[in-house]
Amino acid sequence: MFFNSIDFAIFLPVVFVLYWFVTKNNLKLQNILLLVASYFFYACWDYRFLFLLIFSTLLDYFTGLKMGASEKPRSRKCWFWLSVIINLGFLGIFKYYNFFAASFAEALSLLGIKTNFWVLQVILPVGISFYTFHGLSYVIDIYKKRIIPERNFIEYSVFVSFFPLLVAGPIERATHLLPQVKQKRFFDYAKAVDGLRQILWGLFKKIVIADNCAEYANNIFNNSSAYSGSTLVLGALFFTFQIYCDFSGYSDIALGTARLFGIDLLRNFAFPYFSRDIAEFWRRWHISLSTWFRDYLYIPLGGSKGGTWMKIRNTFIIFLVSGFWHGANWTFIVWGALNALYFLPSMLLNTNRNNLGSVAAGKLLPSLKELFNMGLTFTLTVFAWIFFRAENLQHAGAYIAKICSRSLFHMPEKAAFASTQNNVGIMALLIIFFIGVEWLGREQKYAIATFGAKWPKLLRWSFYSFLVFLMCMYMSTSGSAFIYFQF
Amino acid sequence: MGKFIKQLLVFSIFAAVLYFVLLIVWGECIPAAYTKNLNYSLGAYGHMYTRTREAAKHDKVDILFIGSSHAYRGFDTRIAAAYGYTSFNLGSSAQSPIQTKLLLDEYIDQLDPKLLIYEVYPYTFTNDGVESSLDIIANDKIDRAVLQMAFKINNIKTYNSLVYGCYRAMFKRDKNFTENKVIGLDTYIPGGFVEREITYNSPVITQEKKINWKPIHYQLDAFAKIIELVKKKGIKLILVQAPVTQAEFDKYSDNNKIDSFFSEKGTYYNFNKILQLSDSADFYNEDHLNQNGVKIFNDSLFMRLLKNK
Repeated sequence: MFFNSIDFAIFLPVVFVLYWFVTKNNLKLQNILLLVASYFFYACWDYRFLFLLIFSTLLDYFTGLKMGASEKPRSRKCWFWLSVIINLGFLGIFKYYNFFAASFAEALSLLGIKTNFWVLQVILPVGISFYTFHGLSYVIDIYKKRIIPERNFIEYSVFVSFFPLLVAGPIERATHLLPQVKQKRFFDYAKAVDGLRQILWGLFKKIVIADNCAEYANNIFNNSSAYSGSTLVLGALFFTFQIYCDFSGYSDIALGTARLFGIDLLRNFAFPYFSRDIAEFWRRWHISLSTWFRDYLYIPLGGSKGGTWMKIRNTFIIFLVSGFWHGANWTFIVWGALNALYFLPSMLLNTNRNNLGSVAAGKLLPSLKELFNMGLTFTLTVFAWIFFRAENLQHAGAYIAKICSRSLFHMPEKAAFASTQNNVGIMALLIIFFIGVEWLGREQKYAIATFGAKWPKLLRWSFYSFLVFLMCMYMSTSGSAFIYFQF
Repeated sequence: MGKFIKQLLVFSIFAAVLYFVLLIVWGECIPAAYTKNLNYSLGAYGHMYTRTREAAKHDKVDILFIGSSHAYRGFDTRIAAAYGYTSFNLGSSAQSPIQTKLLLDEYIDQLDPKLLIYEVYPYTFTNDGVESSLDIIANDKIDRAVLQMAFKINNIKTYNSLVYGCYRAMFKRDKNFTENKVIGLDTYIPGGFVEREITYNSPVITQEKKINWKPIHYQLDAFAKIIELVKKKGIKLILVQAPVTQAEFDKYSDNNKIDSFFSEKGTYYNFNKILQLSDSADFYNEDHLNQNGVKIFNDSLFMRLLKNK
C-alpha cells in the first residue's frame, strides 16, 4: 500500500475516523487500533514478512525487559548482544548475504580459486532496515541505562510498527516516540490541518516532481552509452531532484499522517539542497539516520575527540556504514566514501559547524558568497548521486567518463526526453516552481508550513487547490514505488 | 473535530470547483503538448469523428468489422463490396475490449450485421484502454456508458478529458468542427476504412525481451460480455488476428496460448500463421499493412467466407 495510492486514500480516513470517533479518549483502544492498522498496512506489502516484524518486536521487547531486570553487567551484556546479533543477523541474511557471497567468490577467483556459493533467492522484507534500527536504538538505550524498558507490549509495538514510519522511517527513538504513545492524545485542530498541509506538499513532491524526473533519469541512466555528456549531466540532475522529492516527499506524508493522529515524528529533511557546505548538507539530509549513526556509532567510536587520524577513521567508518546501510552494492559504499572525502576538509579545519542556521535567514535572496557555496555543495552532491543511481561501479565510471568527454559541450539529445509523456519545458517550469516554494519556506518545518499564512483564506485555499490541480494534471500515470522502500 | 470535518468538506467543494475552472482554462489556453493529463484529441485519431457520425446514420450491413487500428486499416469495405458484402468498419485506434463493447452497444442495432468480424490484437487485452478512451471521449458522444468506461479504466487522463469533454459538449464548443477526409497520408473511405498512401516498412532487427501475454481482468470481462452480446443477438462471430510483421508477432513468448484462448471462444483465424507476407513489401510499419498487404489479407479472408458460406 503506497502513500500515493487509492488504497491508502481509503485506509487513512477509515483509521482516522475509527481513531477519533470510535476509540475516542481511550488510550488503550487507540493504541490497539494503531497497532492493528499498522500490521494490516504492513501485511498489504507482504503478509509473509509480518512474522519477522512481530518476531523482531518480541525479541527487543523481551531482551529490553531482561536487561532492565538484571543488575549484573554480564547478564545485561548477554541479553544486549543476543538482541544485536539476531537483529543484525536477519538484516545480514536478507539484505547482505548475497552481496558478501558474491564479493567473496570474486575475490577468491582473483586468486584462482573457483567457488560456488549458495545464493539465497529471497525478497528483501520491506522496511527491515528501518524497524531493525528502531529496535536497536531501544535496546542500546536500555543497555546504556538512558531509558527504562517499556513494560506495556502494545505501546512498545506501536513504537516499532506505527504505520506512517514503518516502511521508510523516519528512524524514531524511544525517548521521543514512546512518551507520545503512552500519553493520552486529544484532537488538535491546528495540528490536524498542519498534518494535511504537509501531506499535500509531500504528495506534490512525490507525484509531480519525483515521478516525472524518474522517467527522464531512468531513460538516461539506462541508456547512458547512447547519450552525450550534456544529456548525462541532465540525467544526474533529474535524479538529484527525483531522490530528494521522493524521499522527503515520503517523509512529509509520514510526518503529516502521524500528526493527524496527534503524534509528532522526528524531522527527516531540512532543505538540504540549500546547504552551504557538505557538513550542513548532512545535518539536513535524512536527519534521523545521520543522527542515529552519530549517536550509536560515531560517538561510541570516539567521535571527533581523538587525534587527527582517529577523526579521519571515524568519519570514514560512519559514511561507509551509512552508504552500506542503503544497499548491498559497491556503488553505495563508494557514494559513502565520496561523501566522507567531501566532509573531511571541513572537519579537519574545524569549519563543519560554520553554517548551523538557515541560509539567508530573514532575507529574500542569498548573498553571492552564499549562492556560490550552495552551488558548489549542490554540484558535489549531484556528482555523488551518480554512484548512488548507477547499476554498478563500471556503469558509474563510464557515466562520469562520458560527462568528462567533449560531448559535454554538445546539445542534449532530444531522444532522451521524447520517450516519456512529459514535456521537458513544463518539467523545468515545475521544478523551478518547486524550488521557489521550497526557498520561500526554507526557515519552516516544511516548505508550505506557513506559506500564505497571512493571505486571505480564499487565496490560501486557492494555492492548495492549485497544488492539487498540478498533481492531477502532471502526475505520472505510470506510478512508482518510493525509492527508500527498497532499503 | 466537527470544525475539522466541516472545513475539510468545504475545502473539498472549493477545490473541486476551482479544479473544474482550471481544467477549462488549461484546455482552452494551453497547447496540448503541455497538458500532460488532459488529452482532448478531437479528430486526431484515425478519423473516429467521421466514422461515428457515419455509423449513426448507416444502413444495415452484412458484415461489421471491429477492433484496433489493424481493423480500420486492415478491412477494406470496398474489397468486401467486390465480394458481394455490404459492410461497415468500426475499428479505432488502440481499441481495447472495453471500448469494443461500448461501441457495439451503441451501434449494433443501427448496423444490424449478420456477421461480426472482430480483430483481436493481443496487445489490446493487456492495455489499460486509456488511449482509446480519449479517442472515444473526444470523437463520439459522451453518455452514461462512457462514464462507466471511465470508472472501469480509472485513470486521471480519462477523467480529466471526460470532464473537459462534458464542458465542450455543454457549451457546444465543437459544433463547427469538420474532419478532413484526407489527413496526412490517410484517406477516409466511406464505410469506415482508412487507406494509407502506399509506403513500405523498413524492418529493423531488434532483440527485445519476449513478452508474456497477461490480459487485464476488466478487458477479459468486457470480452466475455461481447461474446455474450453477439450470441444473444444471434450474430455470427469470427475472431481474427490481422497480420503484423514477423518481429512484431514474435514479441510474445506464448503465441500458441493466445491462439488457443481465442479459438475456444469461436471461429478464429490467425492470419499471421495463414499468410506468408513480406515484412517490407506488405507493411508500412511494424504492425500495419500497406494497401498491397490489405489486398492479400482481405482476398484471403473473403475467399474463406465464401468457401464456408
